[in-house]
Amino acid sequence: MRWYILKALLTKEFSRHIANRGGIALAFLLLAMAVLLSVFTPGETTAAGTSMVGGVHHCFIEFDRPTPLVRHLQANVPPELKAQVRFRELRKPDDVDGVIAAETGTGSIQIRHVNEPGKRPAVQVSVWHPDSEPGALAPYEQWVWKESRRAFAIEAAKKMTDAKMPDTPAFDAENNWLVLESHKRFQEQVEAGRKADVGAPLVPDLTIDRRGLGGKVLDFRAAIATGMVVFALYFACVYLLPTLNCEERERGVLLAQALTPASPTELLAAKFVFYPVFGIGLAATLAAVYKPDVLSSLFFWLALFAVGGGFLGIGMTIAAWAKTQRAAFFGGMCYLLSVSMLLLICSLNGIPFLSYLAVEFHGPRILHAALSGTVQTAHWRHLAAALGLAVAWLFAAGWVFRRRGWQ
Amino acid sequence: MPPDAMIRIAGLRVLYGAFAAVDGLDLDIRRGELFGLLGPNGAGKSTTIRVLIGQRKPSAGGVTIGGRDVVRDWANIKPTFGYVPDRENHFEEFTGRRNLEFFGQLYNVPRLRAAEVLKMVELDEAADLPVRGYSLGMRKKLLLARAILHEPQILYLDEPTANLDIHSAEVVHRILRERVKAGATIILTTHDMDEVEKICDRVGIMARGKLVALDSPLALKQQHTERKVDVIRDDGERFVYDMDTPAGRNDLAALVAAGRALRIRTREFDFHATFLKLTGLAFD
Ligand SMILES: Nc1ncnc2c1ncn2[C@@H]1O[C@H](COP(=O)(O)OP(=O)(O)OP(=O)(O)O)[C@@H](O)[C@H]1O
Ligand SMILES: [Mg+2]
Repeated sequence: MRWYILKALLTKEFSRHIANRGGIALAFLLLAMAVLLSVFTPGETTAAGTSMVGGVHHCFIEFDRPTPLVRHLQANVPPELKAQVRFRELRKPDDVDGVIAAETGTGSIQIRHVNEPGKRPAVQVSVWHPDSEPGALAPYEQWVWKESRRAFAIEAAKKMTDAKMPDTPAFDAENNWLVLESHKRFQEQVEAGRKADVGAPLVPDLTIDRRGLGGKVLDFRAAIATGMVVFALYFACVYLLPTLNCEERERGVLLAQALTPASPTELLAAKFVFYPVFGIGLAATLAAVYKPDVLSSLFFWLALFAVGGGFLGIGMTIAAWAKTQRAAFFGGMCYLLSVSMLLLICSLNGIPFLSYLAVEFHGPRILHAALSGTVQTAHWRHLAAALGLAVAWLFAAGWVFRRRGWQ
Repeated sequence: MPPDAMIRIAGLRVLYGAFAAVDGLDLDIRRGELFGLLGPNGAGKSTTIRVLIGQRKPSAGGVTIGGRDVVRDWANIKPTFGYVPDRENHFEEFTGRRNLEFFGQLYNVPRLRAAEVLKMVELDEAADLPVRGYSLGMRKKLLLARAILHEPQILYLDEPTANLDIHSAEVVHRILRERVKAGATIILTTHDMDEVEKICDRVGIMARGKLVALDSPLALKQQHTERKVDVIRDDGERFVYDMDTPAGRNDLAALVAAGRALRIRTREFDFHATFLKLTGLAFD
């Protein structure tokens, strides 16, 4: 590795961008967007037109057993909540007080069934709402209360076919029926007086427990800033690097450089240094415009390096594989589309683990956590995964490069 | 084999799929010689040069330069040669000078050397224009300027005078002769027969991946020039006399003695005809 050669290669890369201007123009556009975003702060955290309800993009209904109640809820998710509601079994059904860390923009409603012999059957509902946003899950709660009321009535009617069931309440969107119901019951109690307890009740007792779960509702400004930071890294490493490299290859200038005393390692190293530095520099500037103090956060820099490294590996793989500039461009596009499809399909169908293989799955999560100051243990795991993927992609790039060579 | 062989091509075969672009080429280039490689389109000239610079690996046989194998010793060999590719490859957005300065930095030559070679190829006036605006000939000259930037001992020139005007071609010829005088070994390919005759020490003619002739231009001339004389008689009739037959010699002598020969011309070496005959491309 000779410094005068690296210097020449790096200056060349830099002056090509100065001469071509396209890349620089886009970088300035991104910066302008970041400045605008920080000046015109949108006051609301919830944006219309996104698939979010109350700043929560996913509400998990977690249950210990697939009882008729759970099955009824599953069968009766209203269309407007279909995209957000996910059912899953509780991994530790008994651990109500265990520390729960939910991802930003998610919440859960847990349903536990107490059904021990000699005890009154009970359903225990825990509403785990985002920190400091107790109302964020309201639309989900309304649905759960209404449908569980219906489910209990149906179950009771099955067990006691001859008795007369209470009237179905007048369900309404504002949840007024809850208040009306309790008022009605109060009236009845006052009228009839308390009766002695006669065995197990047909309808179980209900307890409700609400608390924040450490997560936050999704902060849209941080989300947009995250988007720009991820885009800056993607743009430098997966778009600029392969297209410029393949343009050099296509025009034969890569060969001309390879014939000089510059070694393949030096030529590669120059690209390895220039594009990540450009991308990370731009990304850090964008992040600093949004929130200057992220620059002093270790997690933020680690996240930038992990995501930048992953994108660099992807970009180098495409650059080594594609013969022409057009192929490089298509390669980048195809990669982007297939990863988006993968993530979308996994998210819509609740397919676990598969999306862990995408840098784009972890990247936005860790960068958003860094930018919104909500880093939790899970984010460190995402960071580790992103670093692992970055290493894997860099190895893949080296492998493809050795097989394809300069031509 | 001559002991001073600088470049040794032995049994070289280059396959593109099943097609042999170079098919068993044996050739020794001497130190300090200017060697011309001729041949019709697709003969395998550029392919041979691509092997020499190490861009393409031989399918069989091999190439050594000063005794060192090109494939195995590529890293050490590549700084010793300069290369003018058949397809120009410049940074379009850079000026001619910036292009040369960049490559000069990689070769670690002084910055002033760029200006020097630009002057040599007479591009000093266009030096600060982006290459995007260069004509075909200017681009070709810039390639040569780049190839001689580090004063290499070997030059591989793939059609260095294509698209050049007569004057520029002469400038190139002068530079090449100077390099040879300084001890450099040069292989150039060309389609210009006059150029070969004028500057090359030896000529190889390739056809379909094989060498079909190899000698100095003069020897080729002697081997292939027909001993015939064209005569125009005083009444305008044209005659051809064959000097290899007694009848031809006597008839010509009689005509000259009678004072009826208006113009007499011996046949010159016709490189074009020779080339076409050797490469099997002549029309019957
Ligand atoms: N990359 C390639 N893939 C397939 N075939 C190739 C490739 N490069 C060259 N060839 C074939 O090899 C043969 C020799 O090509 P080459 O370029 O060496 O010819 P040339 O003698 O330089 O011709 P010209 O005078 O036109 O420059 C041609 O038939 C060509 O089609
Ligand atoms: Mg050629």
